[in-house]
Parts: sequence; C-alpha cells; structure tokens
Amino acid sequence: MKALGSSGWKGPVKFRMPTAENLVPIRLDIQSEGQRYKDAFTWNPSDPDNEVVVFAKRTVKDLKLPSAFITQIAQSIQSQLSDFRAFEGQDMYTGEKIIPIKLDLRVNHTLIKDQFLWDLNNFESDPEEFARTLCKDLGVEDPEVGPAVAFAIREQLYEIAIQSVASARESRLSKKGRRGSDHGSASKASGLSMDLVKLFSFKSSVVRKRKDLDVYEPVVDLLTSEEVDALEAREERHAR
Amino acid sequence: MAAKAPDSGGSGEILPITPSLSETTSGVTAASQSTQPPSSSSDVDTVYVPSYSRWFSWTDIDDCEVRSLPEFFNSKSSSKNPKFYIYLRNSIIKQYRDDHPRKISFTDVRRTLVSDVVSIRRVFDFLEYWGLINHSSSSSAKPLKWDEKSAGDASSEPPTTVKETAKRICNGCKSICSVACFVCDKYELTLCARCYVRGNYRVGINSTEFKRVELSEESKKVWSEKETLQLMEAVMHYGDDWKKVATHVTGRTEKDCVSQFVKLPFGEQFVKESDSEDSLEAFDKIKGSADLESGGSDKEGSSPNKRMRLTPLADASNPIMAQAAFLSALAGTKVAEAAARAAVTALSDVDYEAEKNATGDPHRQDANANSGGDITNSERAWADAKSLIQKEEQEVEGAIKEIVEVEMKKIRDRIVHFEKLDLEMERSRKQLEDMKNLLFTDQLNIFFHTRKARKSEDRVDC
Repeated sequence: MKALGSSGWKGPVKFRMPTAENLVPIRLDIQSEGQRYKDAFTWNPSDPDNEVVVFAKRTVKDLKLPSAFITQIAQSIQSQLSDFRAFEGQDMYTGEKIIPIKLDLRVNHTLIKDQFLWDLNNFESDPEEFARTLCKDLGVEDPEVGPAVAFAIREQLYEIAIQSVASARESRLSKKGRRGSDHGSASKASGLSMDLVKLFSFKSSVVRKRKDLDVYEPVVDLLTSEEVDALEAREERHAR
Repeated sequence: MAAKAPDSGGSGEILPITPSLSETTSGVTAASQSTQPPSSSSDVDTVYVPSYSRWFSWTDIDDCEVRSLPEFFNSKSSSKNPKFYIYLRNSIIKQYRDDHPRKISFTDVRRTLVSDVVSIRRVFDFLEYWGLINHSSSSSAKPLKWDEKSAGDASSEPPTTVKETAKRICNGCKSICSVACFVCDKYELTLCARCYVRGNYRVGINSTEFKRVELSEESKKVWSEKETLQLMEAVMHYGDDWKKVATHVTGRTEKDCVSQFVKLPFGEQFVKESDSEDSLEAFDKIKGSADLESGGSDKEGSSPNKRMRLTPLADASNPIMAQAAFLSALAGTKVAEAAARAAVTALSDVDYEAEKNATGDPHRQDANANSGGDITNSERAWADAKSLIQKEEQEVEGAIKEIVEVEMKKIRDRIVHFEKLDLEMERSRKQLEDMKNLLFTDQLNIFFHTRKARKSEDRVDC
C-alpha cells in the first residue's frame, strides 16, 4: 500500500465503460401525438445496428404505441450510441479513483436510496450483478427495480468516464508531455473521487466514520398509491 | 439427448399441445381418441409444451441452446456465462407461466431483467421459437430449420412446384391425377402418371400419342392448423398409405399431404417402420439407380435410418424399373435426364478416386457402364482424359526433380571451386608473410653491419 503513490499512474486507457461488459445506458423520453414514452435500459454497442430498428418495432408493438414512435425511438437510440462511439477512440485516465455512487430512484412503488463506493479502475466490475444481488438481499419484490438500479449505476459510471476523457484531453493540451501523476491529481481535483492514499494510510482506519454510516446504508421504501401519485405530480411540476 | 427439431420418441405421441388443437372435425374424433390428450377442462392451469422442446429442464442446458445462443457459451466475456443464461431463461419462462395463458411480450420481459436488452431479446426469441413461451395453436406449425436434407426430398421437389387446377380423374385407375397427367387427344383419354407408365390403356394406343400435361394447383398453399392436425393424425394411423391420408385430410391431395408432411418439423417421428424395401429404393434416388444395377442386396443396408422414408405414391408390388420410370415420368424428361447425369457424374467421381488407388477395376467400370445408357461413352472418355492428365503431371514432377538436382550439383561444384581458390589465397598470403619477415631480418642485418662498419671506420680514422 505504501507504494501506492508511485504506482498511481496508469497509462491512458481507450475509452470504454469501466465494467466487464461494455454496455451503454440508453434513456428514452419521446413525446408524440399526445403520448409520452419514457424508458431506460442498457444496450450493447457491439450489436449490429439493425437491432435498433428491430428493438424499436418490438417495443412499439408490445406497448401499442403509434407507429410514428418507431423512427423516433430508433433515432434516439442511434444518436446516443453514436455519441458513445465518438468517445471510444479517445484516451481516458482512470487513475486510482474510488468514487461514491448514489442511488435515489423510484420504480413503481419502490423507493431506493443508497450510496456505496465503486472502484473505477476495476474493469471487471458488473453493475448488473450488483443490482441483482441488491434486490435479492433487500427482498425487493418488484422485478423492475433491478434494471433501474443497474441503469443508474451505469449512467453515473458513464458520466465519470466522459469526464475523465475530457480532463485527459484538457491536460494533454495544457501540459504537453507531462507525467501521468499530474493527470491523476488533475482528475482527483474534480472532487468526486477519494484519495486512496489518505484512506488506506496507517493513520486512519478502514472502518467508516459514524457520521457516514447512515449515508452509506441502503434504504428501501414501499410507497402507497397516493404517495406515488403525489411524487409523480411533483416530478412533473419540476420538469416544467 | 441431441435435440434436433423433434426427438424420436418412437411412440409417436404428440405431447399435449394446447387444447384448441384437440377439437378435431367430427369425422376424425373416433379414430383419434386414442392419441389425443383427454379433452381438458383445465385450460388455464396446464401449460403445454410442444414435444420438440422436451429437452427443456430448469437446471440444465441442452445442446440446441448452446448452438442457437453461442454468445453465452464461448467465454468471450466473463459476465455472459451459462449461469447468466440460465437466469435469463428461467426468469422469462417463470414470468410467462405466472401469467399464463396470457402471452408475454418482449417489453414485459426486458423491463424486469437486469441485462442488456439485445441479449434478452435473443433468449426471448429462442424460447418463443421453441414453444417454451407464448406457445399456442397458431405457432405450432412453424417449420424449424432442418439439419439434413434427405435424398428423397430431391425427387419430391419437382412435384411440389407443380400446381393443379381442376381435379382430373384418370381413365385407367379412376383415381385423382396429381402432378402430371398424360393426355391423349386422339381418344380423349386422361391417364395419371402411374397408369401411363404401366401401360394401363387400351390396346390400340401407342404411348407416344400421349402428351404430358402439368397440372397446377390453385388451392391454398398455406396449411391451416386444422389441416395440419388432420394430417398428423392420419399419418399416425395410416402410415404410408397416402391415399387414405389424403382422404382424411379434407381438401388436400396426396402430393400436398406428402409435401406438407415433409415440411413438418417433427415429421420423422411419426413415420412408421416401412417394411417394403422397394419404397426405400424409390427415394434413394442417386445411390439407388446405380446400386440397383450392381447389386440390390446391399441396398437395404446402405440407406441410413435417418433418411426420410417417404412413400407418397409407391406401391409395394411395383417392380423397380417401373418405379424409376414412374418417377422420371413425374419429374419430366429433362429433369430426369439431368438427375441421371448428375448421378452418374457423382458416381464416376467416387469411382475415379477408387480407381486411382486400385487401378483399372473392370467391375467398377461395368457399374459405370450399366448406369445410364448413352452417357457412358463420354464418361469413359472423360475418365481416360483424367488418367492422361495424371500421367502428364507425374512426368512434369519428374522433370522438375531432375532440374532441381542439376542445379544443386552446379552449386556444389561452385562451392568446391571457391574453396580451392580460398586455399590458394591462404598459401600466397603465407608466402608473403614469410617474405616480409625475411626482408625485415635482412634489413636488421644490414643495419647492424653498417653500424659496425661505421664504428670501425671511426676507430680507424681516430
């Protein structure tokens, strides 16, 4: 652990989701002909492009949406995928980042609040596995919660990956040919990540401080229908 | 158990397909009672699984799953592993069965499963295809990919493309003509193919006076569920007697029944063991036409069990040649000729290979000669040409070998020559060295001498 400081520099990695499966979170929010379709799911960018249309058609058929939605859904998915692919050629520095991931979502009648630490450097991490285990352990009955949790985790990881690409580009432009440790500190300056050295030095302990205990505990709430309606109304007001 | 579309249960049972299929037409219920599942009042509780999906088990993965969804089994990614596949598959099926008999849609499923949606879609499609979810009467007639095409298909293919208009009755045997008719305008006779071949017409008529007429079919191409069910029941009961099968299936001719039966995914399972060797021979067309000549006894053994034993219109008492003639009449002269040529070509290919190892086997050439009359001469010439080519090739090879050897010898000689030169050079260099040394010693001597001389001169002078 002592050698952490010096071994902190990892070479730039080609952009990808820092998870075992390189899956992209896709969010859809389409309004047309008076109907609104909101959805969120994960997509594998290495699947052939015709899958997008197939998926759009299936979804429209299953949900009995007007067929105008097919092209809109397909376009939205395609544009998000091409955004992702635009990042793919570029470098990102992940450094030694351990980031806190926050969950605060409502799926049907279930409300989940949670916060936990995630190792950005672990390219074998699996948000899907985590989501499944979380739902199983917390006894969540609604099966739609799992995908929503996995999606939320992926979205946050995606955001951070994008940020690290942007910061890598900036630091490359501003300081040409500087060593990686500077990059590491530049990204740490974003404030999100935790300083591993501080965390695991022999001065502090690994046990969490008492004031953080509540924050890092998962909370599952089952809402009644009225509460759900109230929350939805509030969300819509916020959206406008 | 390797699950091809059907797995051969041998008993020929249909696992309970959804109850709507058991409502057969009245004419058939009596006959079919024994084979249909008891008409169920428990529609909602029991989930039916088609017999070709018998392999399914909650805890195991079958070969067909590995084949159809290789992405989960090729260990390219750590999270797409068989356990994950089982999670997806079992969740989908459980979800479907919870809400049975309502059909489950892909969107319902993908919203509840933690995975990327395209993988879910593939598993979902796979399960739907195999009837493990959303199975209902409308989907059971879907034909599945077939791994093997039997030789029998080839012969029944030409007939299936032919259509029929009005049903024509043969004057000879009073049966409905299918496929092709032979019409004699002179005497206004219509004969079916079999009668024509058999010569089942009046004495005064010559066979050349008949004209072959293709019949086209205007009836529906698509088989409804009811018809498919009737067909299956009929085949199970009547086996190879396609006349009875056709009568059982309302509105379809024998040829239709046969072609539809061939297309069914689990057709093989219900074919009874056919005792007649001739019916087998009829459809081992390619091998048959040659083997028959050279020795029909080993015919039975050569046809593997898996081949479709179709006997649509074959009569067990027909002699072999009439059968072949009948087939060629059905198919038309051009097709039959092409087929025979292809058969002979294939045979002589095989034979030529064997001939290369065991030279000049007259027996084989006889077999070649026997099969197909006027084609043999060209075949022989072609075989001769091939042997000539072989000889030339060998000659060329020998020549090349010699050339290579000569070149090698040249190189060796040159190397020897260079070695000699090298030796010479060494020798002369050594000589040069020696001379240099001599010169040096001489110079030294002279130097000493001159010094001595000068010293003695000095001494003399002073």
